Amino acid sequence: MNIIRSAFRNPPLLTFLLVAFVWIVASFTLHGFGAYGHLRYLIELAAVIGIVAAGQTLVILMGGIDLSVGAVITVTAILLPLISPAWDPTGLAGIVAALGVATAIGLMNGAGAGYLRVPPIIMTLAMATFLQGLLVIIAGGSAVTVSNPAVILLGQARPLGIPSGIVLWLVVSVVVLLLVHRMPIGARFLALGANPLAARLSGVSVTRNTLIVHTLSGFFAGLAGILVLGMNRQGYVGIGDPYLLTSIAAVVLGGTSILGGRGTYAGTIPGAILLVTTTALITVVNASPGWRSIMFGTLILALLLISGREARR
Amino acid sequence: MSTSSSSRLYGSVQLRRNRGLGGLYLVVAAFLILYAALFPGILSIGGFSKFTQNWFPLALVTMAQALLMLNGGITLAIGPLVSLGAVIAATTMEGTLGVPGGILAVALVGLAIGAVTGAIVTYLRLPAIIVTLAGSFIIGGVALILLPRPGGFIPDWLSTTLAGHTPVAFLLLVVILVLWKVFLATPLGLGIYAAGDNPVGAFRSGVPVERVKVAAFALSGLLAALTGLFVAAQTGSGDPVIGTPFTLNSIAAAVLGGVGFLGGKGTMRGAICGSLLLSVMINVMFFLGFPPVAQYIAQGLIIVGAVAVPELLGTWRARR
Repeated sequence: MNIIRSAFRNPPLLTFLLVAFVWIVASFTLHGFGAYGHLRYLIELAAVIGIVAAGQTLVILMGGIDLSVGAVITVTAILLPLISPAWDPTGLAGIVAALGVATAIGLMNGAGAGYLRVPPIIMTLAMATFLQGLLVIIAGGSAVTVSNPAVILLGQARPLGIPSGIVLWLVVSVVVLLLVHRMPIGARFLALGANPLAARLSGVSVTRNTLIVHTLSGFFAGLAGILVLGMNRQGYVGIGDPYLLTSIAAVVLGGTSILGGRGTYAGTIPGAILLVTTTALITVVNASPGWRSIMFGTLILALLLISGREARR
Repeated sequence: MSTSSSSRLYGSVQLRRNRGLGGLYLVVAAFLILYAALFPGILSIGGFSKFTQNWFPLALVTMAQALLMLNGGITLAIGPLVSLGAVIAATTMEGTLGVPGGILAVALVGLAIGAVTGAIVTYLRLPAIIVTLAGSFIIGGVALILLPRPGGFIPDWLSTTLAGHTPVAFLLLVVILVLWKVFLATPLGLGIYAAGDNPVGAFRSGVPVERVKVAAFALSGLLAALTGLFVAAQTGSGDPVIGTPFTLNSIAAAVLGGVGFLGGKGTMRGAICGSLLLSVMINVMFFLGFPPVAQYIAQGLIIVGAVAVPELLGTWRARR
């Protein structure tokens, strides 16, 4: 009884238990769901959402929101094959350049939100619109195939039987968790999200931390873009679009308050897995696109009721 | 005596509410003059009708969005609701009840979906942005089931009436704005601003804050669904994904018009001006031969500029 009560007070644990419950039930009822290969594939898909949602978690913890992550993923996935230099056989230079572009986009978001004082939701929305136009001019609307060896390795390699995407996600998770919960800067993010005025009066720089948080979000979105590219082997306009909404949903399902100041990346991790599992289950049912969309929306609403409620005001 | 003092108070309140919008009015006027200078065709009745028909759906969805933003909420379900409105209009108008039945069905569905969304947000205390996000999937799915491919039936006379060579759309907009003014004079209408500005204060002054929120969502749903009806009449058929761009455009127009995200800040007239500005801008760029993608770039820059410039001016003035 006590365990149940404490689980309901601890959203990350609750979301984790929910994932475990869904997996166990689905493994017994659906043939092939519980196979090691299938579960590993689910986590590999969740890794992309998880990495995007890492940046999203940081921005939301500070009370903002990043609506440009989808566009940043698309930009990275399309730009990387185009800017990978031919003289570099490892392909690392292309990765660094693409990550640089993604980080620069995040920096611009942060500059707009921090120096120009544009609310993050508007700044990132405008940035997404802007990038959308720029992309069509650059890529011309056709898909580009990746030949960068490092990216393909990232998408296909399985050191010790674990897909490298999952390894990358593990690294990102550890870094973000340490950043938020073990370093002073994480405390500053949380303070700014909980009460911007009090934090500012205590000497926390709003502008600087806004800049940092958005830059990190751009970087993580770029990382996810490279991973998506490696898994798909092709970049096209719109490849990043699904990740915008799923990244926000993963954060909220993990119990992080959309208003900022309260939450943890530890909840986002099971949140991302839960989302992928839901999508996989809906695919199994083999319904029409309309019904699939309805089921997805209803499930998010139902999951929200369990883990995403705001405190009584 | 008392009427004159209350009218003076009303006048000063209106003046204060207009103050921040002076710049916006100037920009809109400048764009309109530029537009008229480039394309004198707009000054004829036919040109004016076409121009307002392009503006009308954006104005309606902007009202739907601003209504919620003034109340401290937001909706990401505008686009799917527009699509659903178009699909319902295109599938019900050939039924036994004909066009009136179709219009009624669209209005009722819009109101009902809005009210349910509002009830979920208000009584279950879930964040509006996520609930409407999940709702957008559900609503979009329903639209796809009702009409998997563009099609359906809209009577020709309805299309000609709404989207022909007469400024019916403009007159409808005027009627809707007058209705909005009347609505604002009722306690419920005033409550929308009050509950957005200061929920606790409004509650203590006797505003039924929760009911006001549900009403705001219901009205917003109604406006979005009716936009769908108009779009269906304009294109002559129903399309299950036609509303998609309206979600972001409605937010952009409301923000251009100075409506804030935290509720209570901004005015409906500002939002309408914002939608007019966005619409004129898109039109001008289209006629000047810009590729459609350049419009996205310009739109992004202008939205940031519209928010950043007044903010920077404010800090500059404060420092001086």
